[in-house]
Amino acid sequence: MTITHQRSILHDEGHVARALARAAAGAVIFGFPLLMTMEMWELGFYMDRFRLALFLLLTLPVLFGLSYYSGFEETFCWQDDLIDALTAFGVGFLVSALMLSVFGILTPDQPMPELVGKIALQTVPASIGAMLARKQLGQKDPPEEERRQRSSYAGELFLMMAGALFVGFNVAPTEEMVLIAFKMSPWHTMGLVLLSVGLLHVFVYTVGFAGQESRGDDAVRDVLLRYTVAGYGIALLVSLYLLWTFERTGGLAPMQLVSAMAVLGFPASLGAATARLIV
Amino acid sequence: MTQVERRDRRHDGQAGAGPTQVSWLAWIASGFGLLLFVGTVGVLGYEGLFRNGGNPVIELSVEDVAHDGRRWHVRIRAENTGGTTGARVRVAGQLLSGATVLETAEAEFDFLPAGSTQRGGLFFERDARAHELRLRVLGYAEP
Repeated sequence: MTITHQRSILHDEGHVARALARAAAGAVIFGFPLLMTMEMWELGFYMDRFRLALFLLLTLPVLFGLSYYSGFEETFCWQDDLIDALTAFGVGFLVSALMLSVFGILTPDQPMPELVGKIALQTVPASIGAMLARKQLGQKDPPEEERRQRSSYAGELFLMMAGALFVGFNVAPTEEMVLIAFKMSPWHTMGLVLLSVGLLHVFVYTVGFAGQESRGDDAVRDVLLRYTVAGYGIALLVSLYLLWTFERTGGLAPMQLVSAMAVLGFPASLGAATARLIV
Repeated sequence: MTQVERRDRRHDGQAGAGPTQVSWLAWIASGFGLLLFVGTVGVLGYEGLFRNGGNPVIELSVEDVAHDGRRWHVRIRAENTGGTTGARVRVAGQLLSGATVLETAEAEFDFLPAGSTQRGGLFFERDARAHELRLRVLGYAEP
C-alpha cells in the first residue's frame, strides 16, 4: 500500500516542480559548452531558416524517444512522453534565452527573428540536456529491468542515434570540423575511420547492449554486425545531417565532404557507443 | 511486463482519486513548451518563406557624427534588406571636397544577415561635418 501511494503522488505538483528544476539543471549543464560557442550564436542568426526549422521539428521526436527510454521523470504512456518532450523543449528554450541574455549575446534592440534564431538553435542541445537530467542527476530509478524491458533492436539504434546527435552536436558547429578535414590526407581519414569503428566496437561490446545473450566468438561477430557497423553508419549519417544543417557541406569536394563526415563521425560514434551510459 | 505492472499499480493507487492523472503544473509547463515550439518553428518558417533567396541588399546610413577629442567619429548603420546573409561586409567612407577624395576610412562587419541591422564606426582626421561624406559597400563573402 505504501508503494502504491508512492506511485500515486508521481504526478503531484511537488514532484513535477522537482522534475522541472532537475530538467533546468540538466539544460544548463549539458547546454553550456554550446552556449559558450561563438559559432552557435552566429549560426543562430545567419543559417538557413528552413534548415533550422527542420532541425527543431526533428528535435521533438528525439525528445519524445528519449523520454520513452529515460527522460527526466517516469512515464507510463505516450501522452506522458509527449508532455515531457514539450516540457523539455520549453525548459531548454527558457534556459537558453536566459543564459544568452546573461552573456550579453541577446540584446533588446536585436530584431525578433535574430533573437528567435539564436535561442532556437541553442534550444536543441539544452532541451536534450533537460531530458537527460534524470539519468544523470536523478536518483537511481527506474530499475534496470524496466529499461531493458523497453529496449528492442530499433530502440537500441534510436539510442545510438540520439547519443551520436548529442555528442556530435557539441563540436559540429565549430569551424574546426572542416579545418581538420582539410588538414588530413586520405590516409589520415582512413586511420580515423578505423579508430572510430574500433573504439565503437570496444565500447559496445563492453557496455553490453540488450539482446546480446551469446558469448564467445559468435557474440563478437554478432555485436560487430548488429551494433558496431550499424552504429557507425548511424554516426556517419548523423554527421552528414549536422554538417548540412550548419551549412558546412556547401562547396566541398566529395573527398573533403567524406573527410569532414569522418572527422565529425569520430565524436558521433563515441556518442553512439556510450549512448547506453549517457542516455 | 514491468511496464504493465506499473501501470496497474498506478491505477490502483488512484482508484479513489478520480480520473485526473497529470498535475496542473505539468499541463502548464508542457503547454508553455508547445507554445514556444509552435511559435519558434512558425517564426522560422515564415522567415524561410518570405525572406529567402536573392542577394544581400545593403544600405548604409550615417547615425551620428562627433569629435571624440582626437578625431572625427562617424557612427554608421548597415541594413541588409535583401534575402541572404552577407559575411565579412566591407564598407568604406570617403570625405570629398568637390571631386577629390580627401580621406578614406573602412570598416568590416562579420555578418549582416538578411533583414538585420548592424552598427559600426568610421574614423576621420578631417572634419567629417564640413565635408561631403560618401558611404560605399565594397563587398561581401557568402558565409
